[in-house]
Amino acid sequence: MTTDYSPSELMAVAGARELKDGQIVAVGLGLPVVASFLAKQTHAPNMTILFELGVVDPEPIDSGVGLADPRVWYRAKVHSSFVDILGTVLHKGRVDVGFLGGLEVDQFGNLNTTLVGDPRGKFKHMVGSGGANDIASCANKTVIIIRHEARKLKETISFVTSPGYISGGSARADLKMRGGPERVITDKAIFGFHPETKRMQLLSIHPGNTLDDVLNTMGFKPEICGNIPYTEPPTQEQLRLIREQIDPTRMYMG
Amino acid sequence: MNKLSTLHDAVASIPPGSHVALPGFAIARCAMAFAHEVIRQGINHLTLSQCVGAMDADILVGAGMADRLIYGGGSLDRFGRLSAVNRGIETGTLAAEEYSSLSVTFRYLAGSLGLPFIPIRSLQGSDLLRNLKERHPDDVAAITDPFTGEEWLALKPLLPDVAVALVSAADEEGNAQIDGPRWDNLEQARASKRTIVLAHKIISTEEVRQHPDRTVIPGFLVSHVVHVPFAAHPCSLFKAYDYDADHIRLYAEAAQNPESMQAYLDTYVFGVPDHAAYLAKVGGEELKQRISADPQRGY
Repeated sequence: MTTDYSPSELMAVAGARELKDGQIVAVGLGLPVVASFLAKQTHAPNMTILFELGVVDPEPIDSGVGLADPRVWYRAKVHSSFVDILGTVLHKGRVDVGFLGGLEVDQFGNLNTTLVGDPRGKFKHMVGSGGANDIASCANKTVIIIRHEARKLKETISFVTSPGYISGGSARADLKMRGGPERVITDKAIFGFHPETKRMQLLSIHPGNTLDDVLNTMGFKPEICGNIPYTEPPTQEQLRLIREQIDPTRMYMG
Repeated sequence: MNKLSTLHDAVASIPPGSHVALPGFAIARCAMAFAHEVIRQGINHLTLSQCVGAMDADILVGAGMADRLIYGGGSLDRFGRLSAVNRGIETGTLAAEEYSSLSVTFRYLAGSLGLPFIPIRSLQGSDLLRNLKERHPDDVAAITDPFTGEEWLALKPLLPDVAVALVSAADEEGNAQIDGPRWDNLEQARASKRTIVLAHKIISTEEVRQHPDRTVIPGFLVSHVVHVPFAAHPCSLFKAYDYDADHIRLYAEAAQNPESMQAYLDTYVFGVPDHAAYLAKVGGEELKQRISADPQRGY
């Protein structure tokens, strides 16, 4: 049976698939919220969701404009602090998966959320890190969710706010950093990272796209090994949960 | 000891050039009434710090009160960027020392514990660290773990001259209660020489004694207690009042260039003598009704 779904819905479902029951997950606002609530309401009921400012396992009934919106703190089990969440959970090493987004990502999964332009010349300053650098540095793995555009998937990025595999190979391990990006989910494809080069490696293509669609809209050529399957589409039940319960006003899905 | 004060006197106790830790997080619990009074009194050359840049820092920077900002990045959530802060960084008029949320938190934590430095896992391999090493080499250092010999990044403690706390309730000694998440505010108060408390509600010390577990900032850290209802407007105070989306939009639009920022300040800061007059101007009783929080939901 074919089902109509949007690229954002497929990205959220792909994000949810990266989460396992019982895990502790650090989440920013937007698609990661949809992905993690979807996982929690389906296959991962015992997952714990963290917001950096000190919120654990909320059950929002209204959509929020950001993490600072009390709508997304509703029915939380804990209201605490940065030291509690980013310190004693994340820095300690208890966060299994962190979600990250950004303006730009490079082939090694390094992310820029700080500026566009030339950092030594003319540039436009954007948001900066917030907890993103901390999640990228301290989580046991990260999942990056980003739009599939050549200006976002780039050979080199203007500023490394949150490190991935840095210059690739053993660069991250050499700095004694744990974790690193495991997946990059775009609206055209899903990537992993090559075990040796730590360059992005194409894992699956979303239905409706060709290999050329994927490669022609990114700024570098990813590693490609063997035949690339299509990404599994969302189920009716996943779509129903997203549309009726998790994001009925389409605040996060755009 | 009764530390109740007017906002005017509490703000006047801060000398120009001070380091002030601000309580806001994006558009939540921002010390807007405090920022407005600092701007009215013209207390400038400030160093500001907070873990996530918020509207209180942005308006102070936009009004030319701050030379320096130590922060972990920030925004007005979906309402936009911190335009005044970003403009200051882009044009070089603001010396911004940019970290991540946790690295600023750890600097306050080290300050609060009286430690000389604190090791951290964050920042490694990033351009944030590269910039810090180049521009602020006195605040970051490589150290060796004396037990394992491993290399670590160490940060210097933050020791602000004054922390500003915007709280749900406090008694006249400054024993303060905060509803909802508290982000970096507890470590800020403990790292700073003193704290100015802006309380939505003043409660008795007897009430504090009946619920001592609710005290998150002890009175002995506090120099001034100011009763300022709706002090965070247009930002929110959990369980007391919601954010005022229309006014945040108006600010976000105004902050986009220096001329409209000045017009905003002329109307809403210089155009009123104090916070009560500001509240009357932005909607008075009708506004208070509209943004008052449902105690169950908290917003």
